[in-house]
Formats: sequence, C-alpha cells, structure tokens
Amino acid sequence: MIDHPVLDPRYAAPFPEAVLPVLRNPQLRKNVAHAIDVIQAKRGKLVLEKTDWQALRTAGAAIRSHVLENLASYLELFEARCAAAGGIVHWAADAAEARKITLDILQQEQAKEVIKIKSMTTAEIQVNPHLEAAGVRTYETDLAEIILQLGQDEPSHIVVPALHVNRSQVREIFARTMGLKDLSDDPHALTAAARTYLRQKFLMVPTAISGANFLIAETGSVVVVESEGNGRMCLTLPRTMITIAGIEKVLPSFQDLEVMLQVLARSATGERMNPYTSVWTGVTPGDGPQRFHVILLDNGRSQMLAKEVERQTLRCIRCAACMNACPVYRQTGGHAYGSVYPGPIGAILTPQLMQMHHAQTLPYASSLCGACYEVCPVKINIPEVLLELRSQVVNQERHDLGRFFDPMYLGLRIANLLFSRAWLFHTAQLFGRIGLRFFTGKDGWIHSLPSIGGKWTQTRDLRGFPKQTFHEWWAERDAKPTGEAK
Amino acid sequence: MSAHLQSRQKILDRIRANTRTVSSADLESDYAALPRAYIRAGSLSREACLALMIERLREYDSEVVECSPEELPSAIAAQLNSSGKRIFVAPPGLPASWLASGFDWRMDHNPSSAEIELVDGVVTAANCAVAESGTIVLHHSATEGRRVITLLPDWHLCILYASQVVQTLPEYFGRCQQPPKLATYISGPSATADIEMTRIKGVHGPRFLHVILVHDEDVQPNSPPEPALPAK
Repeated sequence: MIDHPVLDPRYAAPFPEAVLPVLRNPQLRKNVAHAIDVIQAKRGKLVLEKTDWQALRTAGAAIRSHVLENLASYLELFEARCAAAGGIVHWAADAAEARKITLDILQQEQAKEVIKIKSMTTAEIQVNPHLEAAGVRTYETDLAEIILQLGQDEPSHIVVPALHVNRSQVREIFARTMGLKDLSDDPHALTAAARTYLRQKFLMVPTAISGANFLIAETGSVVVVESEGNGRMCLTLPRTMITIAGIEKVLPSFQDLEVMLQVLARSATGERMNPYTSVWTGVTPGDGPQRFHVILLDNGRSQMLAKEVERQTLRCIRCAACMNACPVYRQTGGHAYGSVYPGPIGAILTPQLMQMHHAQTLPYASSLCGACYEVCPVKINIPEVLLELRSQVVNQERHDLGRFFDPMYLGLRIANLLFSRAWLFHTAQLFGRIGLRFFTGKDGWIHSLPSIGGKWTQTRDLRGFPKQTFHEWWAERDAKPTGEAK
Repeated sequence: MSAHLQSRQKILDRIRANTRTVSSADLESDYAALPRAYIRAGSLSREACLALMIERLREYDSEVVECSPEELPSAIAAQLNSSGKRIFVAPPGLPASWLASGFDWRMDHNPSSAEIELVDGVVTAANCAVAESGTIVLHHSATEGRRVITLLPDWHLCILYASQVVQTLPEYFGRCQQPPKLATYISGPSATADIEMTRIKGVHGPRFLHVILVHDEDVQPNSPPEPALPAK
C-alpha cells in the first residue's frame, strides 16, 4: 500500500491534508458509501419500530452521565467486586503503562502468542506492535481485523473496521497471506477461509486479550458484544484472559444493560440484537479462563471530566452511529482522521485524549449539521463539543507567535484595518475591482486565483466584482433628476 | 508505594478533582431517580408473544418446532435423527429423558476443548428468551452447560419452555433476582457482515441453531405441534 494510513494523532497529517488522497480514490469512496448506506437503511427501519426510542436515549444518556459524575465511586466498587470474584484489577495512567502491564502478564505466562478480540481501546494504545516487538505474536480474530492485520492496513470505522476494503481486495489479501491461490471472491468463501485459518489458534493459544463494551460495578462483571463468535472463543477457551478497558466503561448495575443492549446493536449494525453478548465475572472454576486480569486505562480520560460540555464525550458506547450519519465521514472514510477513532466522535474524542496538543484540525472536520447528535443513543451533543473545542483551538493560536506569518491572520488584520475607515475601505474596493479584473472571465466569474485566494477557487467559483459598488449606484441615483428616479 | 498503587491513586485523585463527591446514600438516591420512561413490560398476548419469538428465530434461519411437555423426548429424538449427526455433548444436569437412545452421548464432565471440538452437536436447556429480538439467554447452569459446549459444536439444539419467553429485554432483567455470574445472549447464529455488508452465517460459533418450544403454559399452540415420531 502506497499511502499507509497513520492513525497516531501525534504523527498524522492535519485533516485537510490527510483527506486529499482519499478524495482522489474513487474505489475507496465507493466502498465506504456502500457500507454506510446499508447500515443506515437497516438502522432507520429498526429505530422506527422502537416506539420508546427517545425514552431509551434519555435513559441511556442519564445512566452514562450519572456514572461519569460518580466515576471514582463506581470504579472502586467494580474493582472490589471483580477482585472478590477472582479477577485481578490493574490501573494504567497512560498507554505506556497499560502496555507494560499487559506485557508483564504475558511474560509471566511465558506466552509466545496471544489471540485478540476486536477492541478500539487496544488499538488506541497500540498494543499489537509493542507485543510483536517484544516477541509475542498477536492474532486478531475478528474477520475485519484479520483483513486489516494481514493486509497491513488500519481500521477506518469503529464497528466495521474494514468497510473501506471490498471483496476482491479481501480475496487478494487472503490469497497472498494464507497461500490460497484458488480462493474465490465470494464473501462465503472468504469467511470460510478465515474460520479455517483461526480454528487451530482458538484451540491452541492459551492467552487472550479483549476490550470491554461495559464493566458492571454492582457485580464486577465484564460485557463483550459481538457477532461472529470469535469473542466467545477468546474469552472461553484460553487459560488466561486480559481485558483492557477505558475507565469510562462502567455501568452502575447489571440491570442497566436493559437500556444499553437495546440501543447498541440497533445503532451500530441495524440489528435488534447482535448475535452474541457475553457477561462474565472474575473466574468461574471449570468454565473459561482460570486467570483473569482487567486493566483500567485512563490515558487522558480523567482530564476530560473537568468541564460538563466536554465530559459528555465519555458517555460514548462506541456504536458508530455518528460516523454512519456524518456527511463528512461519508466522503472521507476514517483514515483521514489520523486516529483509531474517526468520524464525529473521533473529532471530539481524539483532540481531548491528546489534551489539545495534537489533532487540532479535527474539530473543524464537520459542517455542524447535527446529524450525529440526532442519532446518538446516549445523546452526546457533538456539535456543542465541537464548537467548544474550536474555541480552545483559537485560544491556543492566540498565544502562538507563528500566527504573524500566517496569511490568514495577516489578511484578517488588514481587513480589520480597512473596515475601520470608510475612505480606506472605498480605496481598497477600487483597487480590488481593478486588480480582480485580470482574473475575471468573460462570463463574469473568477475561476482561479493565485496564492491564498486559490484555497477558495480550487473548489468553487467567485462572482466577479460588479462595475459599481452599491454606494456608487446610490450616489448616482440621487444625483439624477427626480423624475427619472423610478 | 508500588507503581500499581501510585497509578491507582493518581487516576482516582484526578477523577475526584474533576467531579463532585457525594455520600453513598446520595449516590443511591441519585441512581434511583434516573429517568426510565422506556417500555418495561410487553403488551402482546401470550400467543402473540410466542408467535413473535418463533418468527424472529426463523428470520435468523433457526429451525423451530413446537411440542407439549409430554411430546418433548420424541421431539428431541426427531431433531437429532434429522440432523444426520451421531455424537452429542450434553450438560450434566440434562434430564435423562432428553437423551434419546441411539446416539453417542458425551456428558460434559470437563473434557478438554479438543475433545469437545470433535462432537457433532450439543443439546441444552435455556434460562429465558426475549421475543422482540429473538434472543436466547443462557446462564450456564447445570442444564444449560459450560460456555464451551455451546460454542465449539457446529449444531445446537436448545430446549425452550414457553413460560421462559418474555416479550421485551427489560422483562428478562426483571426476572433476574440475582445477576448471573456468567451469561450468554444468543440472537441468531454466528454471523458477520464485514465484507461489503453481506451477511454471512457461521463464522466461529455454531452455524445451526435449532429450537424446540415446549408449550408448558395454559395456551394453545398457534400451529399444530410437529407429529411425534414413533417411539423407539
């Protein structure tokens, strides 16, 4: 792959730059639009069928807000209950610490291989490359994640991570990496190839890593929601299991799942319920892994609690409805966001996880149309958070000395001056009219401007200046005899 | 202080600095006051609720047959016979009358995963079922089996009693006096739509889910039960 997507916000190109290769790739855009149209149609039908949808959203938002307001208490409760059931709870302040804890556990287990359930949190902390570098082979087991791992690609969506890849591309990847020359591009055949590829791994590899959809404080249980059964394999067959979960994933009680499970699958994949949901609590003798670790990951989350507007970002249950509804994501796909979290939720989550040191262009990757807010099952007002983050970005720029060399800043300073004096403004109008005449076509439109003006004309035309300004026309009208004024 | 405890303290301190602190009594009353205006009880008649459960299961390509409690053993035998499979694993608590003769039964007394991988199918009971989403709930009791036995075999026959079927998900949660330690919610067979959103049945979990719905309530079945096979 020529343009390998960079999903680390510290090194990724700014959004307006990162988006260009995607916009020039019609195949990718077609793949993304197709996948999104399918999910959106299914979701829309199922949400209409749910007469209490808005009440479920209200309850979902209230439960998640309540958790965040009382997060420390619920985390301590989860820790105590999980430990009482035989689980071992670890706390990781940042990505490096979470990776170190994971590797320490695997080394204690003398693990050379590990099987993985699809998890955005483990992608966020880039656990795979670190384990591989330490000599532990990682096997992703979700079909989409296998496609990406074998194709050395990156996820572009949080629920359907390989939606940018079509069947013939999957066939090519599988045929090459699994040595199956005669593989067809029928999705049935491709899925069967993945089943065969993984079956022995499930039975042989004794250690597994998962994320968590929910942690239940009341019981110390972990909940994983999935479709394929690879998750059940990973959390049932190995002898040691490691779950890496963001600290915000807690729910107060088991019963709260009655809200979350009703909204999650409908929002995520347009199903009434996903095929498999697993709940487990610590260690059960004779059933499943006999050693169980949970790593509670902060990595910037606790700082997001400080202000109420930004705090709602952490209500997210990772359903991806916002990116499926987003007109920007539909055109760009996920890689341009330079983070494992793309789309509207990524545009607010990524800069905050980076504590506003990186990804400052993401809050602008939106038209503020509000479709994301409307579909969000936990009512995150994403446009509100986007605006708040934009104001923080502007405030940062205010302290940046480099702004004196920014054409946009200089242009605005000059405009500020011109608008402050009528005579300056009229003079500028006069010069502007004369100057722009060189760029105005016979049709009265400006199709192309040099320098910074080109940023406008590269995507749209500009009306040429009229022969008269309004003031000039008004003065001329007044000067004419009254009888002709009509 | 170890690094582990330091991070624990650091994270909890940062959270507490950024959120308010309330007493545990206030926490409970705040939680109790959360809005829950969603539907928490089904509105369908029992007949309609069971019909919906069957419709959903069939949408998932599951095969559903209905029978009375007396007909259950023969209904199980009929399903096993038509499966064309011979070796079945069963949870240790399964009633002896369910273990149809003429098949190779492996009672689950903790064999290895590799041994379970070699069986053809599995027969279990269920804890509950939710009609609206066609979900079968397992709590992995002695009749529902350890998690692995309903995972590795490709063919799963689940015995569901009509009295276990509720219409909505909140009704299931209402029935849980104690939260289960282990639970699996199954809504149709293992599936993926990762390649061009084409739904493919059977990735890693069982590819075939068969359900026998046993009418143990005082309700007439909405379709006549499957003809019972001649007793062996």
